[in-house]
Amino acid sequence: MRRGAWRTSGAATLTDVSKPVVRAQDLLVGYGGAPVCAPVSFTLAPGRAVALVGANGSGKSTVLRAVIGLLEPVSGSLQVLGGPVDERDVGFRRQVASVLDDDAYFPALTVSEHLYLTARGHGVRGADDVVEELLAEFGLTDHARSLPVSLSSGQRRRLLLAAGFVRPRSLLVLDEPEQRLDKAMRDRLAARLVEEKRSGGSVLLATHDTELLRAVADRAVVVADDVTRVMSAADAAQVISRENP
Amino acid sequence: MTDDTDADVEPAVQPFDVGAIPPARSIRKFTAQAGNARGGASFGSLMSDVYYAVISLAISIGIALGFAQAMRVALPPAPDVAPPQGLSLAALVVVILVALAGVLLSLAGRLGPVGAGGAEAAWWLSLPVDRRGLLRPASRRLPILAAFVGAVVVTLLDAGLLSDTGGRLLRVALASAFGAAAIVLVAGVLQSAGVPRRTTALVGDLLLAAAPVCAVVLAATGWELDELPGPPWALVLVLALVVAGLVVLVDRRLGRMPERSLRESGSVASQAVGAVVSMDSRELGRALTDGAAPSARRWVSRLRTARGPASALVTADLVVLRRSARHMVQLVVAALVPVLASTVPQLASPAGVLLAVLVSGYVAMSATGEGARRAEMAPVLDRLLPLEAKEVRRLRMVVPAVAMLLWSLVAFAAIGRWTGDVPGWLALGIASTPVWAAGAVRSSYRPAPDWGGALVSTPFGALPTGVGSVLARGPDVVVLGLLPVWIAILLRTVSTPLLFVQVVLSVIAVAVASSVRKGSLLERLMEQADQQATTGPSGARR
Repeated sequence: MRRGAWRTSGAATLTDVSKPVVRAQDLLVGYGGAPVCAPVSFTLAPGRAVALVGANGSGKSTVLRAVIGLLEPVSGSLQVLGGPVDERDVGFRRQVASVLDDDAYFPALTVSEHLYLTARGHGVRGADDVVEELLAEFGLTDHARSLPVSLSSGQRRRLLLAAGFVRPRSLLVLDEPEQRLDKAMRDRLAARLVEEKRSGGSVLLATHDTELLRAVADRAVVVADDVTRVMSAADAAQVISRENP
Repeated sequence: MTDDTDADVEPAVQPFDVGAIPPARSIRKFTAQAGNARGGASFGSLMSDVYYAVISLAISIGIALGFAQAMRVALPPAPDVAPPQGLSLAALVVVILVALAGVLLSLAGRLGPVGAGGAEAAWWLSLPVDRRGLLRPASRRLPILAAFVGAVVVTLLDAGLLSDTGGRLLRVALASAFGAAAIVLVAGVLQSAGVPRRTTALVGDLLLAAAPVCAVVLAATGWELDELPGPPWALVLVLALVVAGLVVLVDRRLGRMPERSLRESGSVASQAVGAVVSMDSRELGRALTDGAAPSARRWVSRLRTARGPASALVTADLVVLRRSARHMVQLVVAALVPVLASTVPQLASPAGVLLAVLVSGYVAMSATGEGARRAEMAPVLDRLLPLEAKEVRRLRMVVPAVAMLLWSLVAFAAIGRWTGDVPGWLALGIASTPVWAAGAVRSSYRPAPDWGGALVSTPFGALPTGVGSVLARGPDVVVLGLLPVWIAILLRTVSTPLLFVQVVLSVIAVAVASSVRKGSLLERLMEQADQQATTGPSGARR
């Protein structure tokens, strides 16, 4: 897979010379026709990561929901994998994995069964080995037979993240994946996302975690209600640190 | 796009050996098998539960049918000469059928009718399997339920008001079952076409509101419908074919329903089912109202009438009520029910009018307490304003009182016309308005039932103690506080003593609804005794 070099176009647009996985141009998102933030423009290339940063309620999650097809954009253009966003399309669902803040589980399915469901639902052969590896990686091996109701909040979060990695994908969309994770698990997640990029996958995440941002993101989009800016991950981390001293 | 056409689209990150995508049926089966295995219920106990449920339902329907037929026999015969501005029973049944269709369409729109909530949305909808297979059971659940309820309700209506022949009742049951299922399936088609759920709900609400309004207009213009023939077998057959066609149409479109729509519908349905199971009518109301509410408003109320904390509270309540189309429709329909009941010669008896006033008044009262119900759930405004809790409750009665005053003017004018004393009945209606407002606020602020209490045997199965008294908060004030109204209706006359007693009871009802004490008098006495036992006679904690 060809890796494109990043270059900025103007003050608020990222473009990549290779075929982008996500291309948002003056994308305006909101509810009931009312936008929640300024228009967003960015491009995410294969093997790259873009982070959305900004204050709580700035519209990061809303942008992510538009990218995965859970929300109709108010205006602007949005293309994912070279086409319009349509989560009803089976091909779209095969290639786009997302981990939002869905804290919902089948009460009768164990931790490992949730992962088997996802893996087998995506046609993964040898799902046993894949699930076992992910259980170990996310520190859930001892809870493999537990029902979700007996898990702590952090363990449930790890189960959701593991479900994002247990299936094939081209684009991984994560909404504040650092939430409810301890430091060690956040470091492990950062390493996993870096590996994701090396494998040719693209990552689009919303985050408040400066370390995760520096470790994973190639670029950052600062989402706000007046203007959105595209900057390097290091600069965005400084912005976050300044706003949350 | 089918799985075959997607075969050449391979994900970039693929450290796995990927094979064929399993059929949706196997996903459903896998989930269901795990649930059944850990549910603790054997096949025998499941069959036993189903058996008892079917038998109980059959007995209940049989008893209800018997009551309905007894009621029909007890109805006085239609007068030889139709009274001016009267409505025949057949016309009333048509009005009720149209209203029921509106209710069903509104409910179907609010509930989806196709949805995937909670775990299904999170774990199923992201899979690259054919969604039709995943959603098929969910898409048929509501039409089947609607068919069953529709058949029972309309058959009881027909048996109670029009006919008792077995063949006709069978045709009525089948036609109404197919008709109800068709309405829900039409809502499903609209959902698959991207029509917003609130639009479908609004159409249903308008149909519901239009039914009694049209009936009143038609009665006033002298329209007559002497007889309502039973549905012929040809109509039953046509309805069955329509339902079959709609089932196929909805099934074909299941795969094209957007996830956001399925998630929204599933969320509302889960909330509504939870409310029904826990017998929480307030939560049910919130689920049905919020589920169809727009996410943004075209105009923002500047609350210009708010001049201080008290008027701010009242203004906020008024805005909440005004923005709920469902509750406004509920008010209009409820106001016209006594009008219709008093214009049908066979129903215009003291018992019929009393029932119409009690039921429609309670329905209208429930619609007016929306502000108080929301404040009970999230008392943000209550805590921001410098008002005593008792004062807050009194102020929360203002909007219900004004709304119920309007209802009373219509309903009691109709009763006055029926008895020939409009001014007297209007006076009684105005005097009784505070009782309705008190009932609305008292039921809105009732505590949640304590399901952890000791179980007692009831006709509805084992229930924890105290649940009944909690659920009766609100209705108790209405039933007791309106005793003079009930007596006046039964006697068909309003007297000065009754009017005086009503005023006194209204004052008492407001005082009771303003009380912020928790629990009944008996519960408070027991709590006090417990506290004394804990602290000892000297007041020192043991």
